[in-house]
Amino acid sequence: MSENIYIFSNGELKRKQNTIYFEVKDGNHKYLPVENIREIHLFGEVILNKDALEFLSQKEIILHFYNYYGYYVGSFYPREHYNSGYILLKQVEHYLDFEKRRYLALKFVEGAISNIITVLSYYRRKGINLESLDKINALYQNLFYQNTIEEIMAIEGKVREIYYSEFNKIIENKEFIMDKRSKKPPENQINALISFGNSLLYSYILSEIYKTHLDPRIGYLHATNFRRFTLNLDIAEIFKPIIVDRVIFYITNKNMLSSRDFEEKLNGIYLKESGRKIFISKIEEKLRTTVFYKKLGKNVSYRRLIRMELYKLEKHLIGDEKYYPLISEW
Amino acid sequence: MCGLLNINMAYVNGTLIASYFICKRELWFMAHELTPDQDNSFLELGRFIEEDYYKREEKGFIVGEMKIDIVKQGDENVIIGEIKKSSRSELTGIMQLSYYLMRLKEIGIIAKGEVLIPKERKKIPVELTKEIEEKLRKAIEEIQMIIMEPFPPKLEKIPYCTHCAYREFCWS
Ligand code: SF4
Repeated sequence: MSENIYIFSNGELKRKQNTIYFEVKDGNHKYLPVENIREIHLFGEVILNKDALEFLSQKEIILHFYNYYGYYVGSFYPREHYNSGYILLKQVEHYLDFEKRRYLALKFVEGAISNIITVLSYYRRKGINLESLDKINALYQNLFYQNTIEEIMAIEGKVREIYYSEFNKIIENKEFIMDKRSKKPPENQINALISFGNSLLYSYILSEIYKTHLDPRIGYLHATNFRRFTLNLDIAEIFKPIIVDRVIFYITNKNMLSSRDFEEKLNGIYLKESGRKIFISKIEEKLRTTVFYKKLGKNVSYRRLIRMELYKLEKHLIGDEKYYPLISEW
Repeated sequence: MCGLLNINMAYVNGTLIASYFICKRELWFMAHELTPDQDNSFLELGRFIEEDYYKREEKGFIVGEMKIDIVKQGDENVIIGEIKKSSRSELTGIMQLSYYLMRLKEIGIIAKGEVLIPKERKKIPVELTKEIEEKLRKAIEEIQMIIMEPFPPKLEKIPYCTHCAYREFCWS
């Protein structure tokens, strides 16, 4: 089983023959099991040399970098090992042909909104008064009449705004609600959690894209500019409500976090290392959770669901099977 | 369309021959460089067997565009070997080897073949017969037709799916 490594300390990643180890500033070091690592998330200040990068590249290990505030800044994406010129051409074809691009953009947003509805409906069944569901349903119906990508994105933006405003009702922990009221725009603890969770999700999806023939630079909802990865942002829309937001509700309602896990810096509020660790352990747990996948006839983890979403996209691109987004029933 | 394919129309490689006898959809994927998921545990097992059991043999010969697992000198003829994981792929191994034998024959080398299943300690001798040659010629023709198709053959559940490295791709 491959695992993800998270590094919070400052130090240096070094290669020693056929292993990689992390040397902490105080001289301590820890070996990393390169054969079993899928990706490394770097939160601390880390020094890397070419030798280490070359070795990681050879082992096909992706490095994800986060800044001081815990926001995703970029990835070291080793040379692609699954190459298919055929898929690349198809990906471009679906980007350049407007109707084809619109179809995919629409489907990603359809998945996003449907999954938001799934999440809200769950809390409504639990007795929380969520009248916004009707508004969201109406916007969802409207989605299919939007012609441009901008219009499609605008609908999603509106839905998200309404959806986020309902977080106050879902999250029982008073500490978080108080903060929301006293907000000095735009940051508060919930926003800090959402941003951090989304950052992680973008990197997980990027790692899964690496295992397919898809080129992460070509997105459909998020315009491609070849200078950054966008396909992972597209796919993330579908998974944010069912992975990130659910983890947020879980850790806040179980009182796993308190204001001590946040800090105020510049103009915003950010998760401290203690808070990040709690979040990561819960999101990892979520990714390992399995659900039954009917068509495949077996249980698959959420992490695998991401991969299968990419496979569905590949099949759509080659004209094998039309793409429909994952709509969670769970 | 054809420009996109990594296929020399005159020749078809052994993997494609094997795929043809397993699943035509897999064949189409292979021809379009849609290599299967390397995380798949069956593939890993395959690599492991190859690396482990045949350390001392010379292996991985390349003749033209054929990749032959094992080549050795027998009493009379050269013997070429193809390694398979289990008896499940015995038939495909036979066809794959027969194809190599046929191609070798074309360049004047008369050889014999052996399908090797180390896990089951099995060794199946393979000789090129008229019938097999006929079958292969038909297969090559059909392979070329299938990979020219713009879309992969429709999905259909077959017993092989359960062990196929494309399983999650096909059934996602
Ligand atoms: S999963 Fe089944 S249909 Fe798909 S390539 Fe494999 S054998 Fe063929």
